[in-house]
Amino acid sequence: MRNYEIMFIVSPNAADEDIDKINGQIEGVITAGGGKAEKIEKLGKRRLAYIVKKFREGSYILFTVQADGAIVREVERRLRVMDLVIKYLTVRMDDDLKRLDKIKAHRQKRAARRGRAHAEGGERRGPSPAEQMPEE
Amino acid sequence: MAIQKQYYRRKKVCKFCVERIDNINYKDVKLLSQFVPERSKIMPRRISGVCTPHQRLLSDAIKKARNIALLPFATE
Repeated sequence: MRNYEIMFIVSPNAADEDIDKINGQIEGVITAGGGKAEKIEKLGKRRLAYIVKKFREGSYILFTVQADGAIVREVERRLRVMDLVIKYLTVRMDDDLKRLDKIKAHRQKRAARRGRAHAEGGERRGPSPAEQMPEE
Repeated sequence: MAIQKQYYRRKKVCKFCVERIDNINYKDVKLLSQFVPERSKIMPRRISGVCTPHQRLLSDAIKKARNIALLPFATE
């Protein structure tokens, strides 16, 4: 299982019900394959940066998904077939998330170490915790 | 006599390092658009001052954003 983000653009002429229907279908495909749709976000109507299939704007929808490659392939196939969907993009997120966790852990470790070093007066980068405190 | 330079260039710093922005996401158009000038090319490091690892992440994010029409490939 991997984390993916599937973003797609629905044509601006689509009614709200159509969008809900598409979302339901996609979610069905994901759960049927054993994946999980963690989040479904409607990002609303936005102007496109360039013309896509003669449209200047579109409604963005973002799925945050836990799934396998096979499911993603199937979802992409479905999106390609749907007339209302004008563009889609799938991004794999797990590497990014791992990197972010690593940076966060590293930062916490450093902050802890710096806290101790500060007592000895060794402070080089950034304002010290004492400086950040509001003056009374 | 040596002519002294009248101005000196301010050292550029990487925005992402300074502001501790770890997550360069393709959805963050506001952030990304700071690095795409009018012609919507990706701003080179020598101008923006972004460090190499961050520039790599940034250009990846910009390319993803272009793919999903959040940012233009070229301005007409």
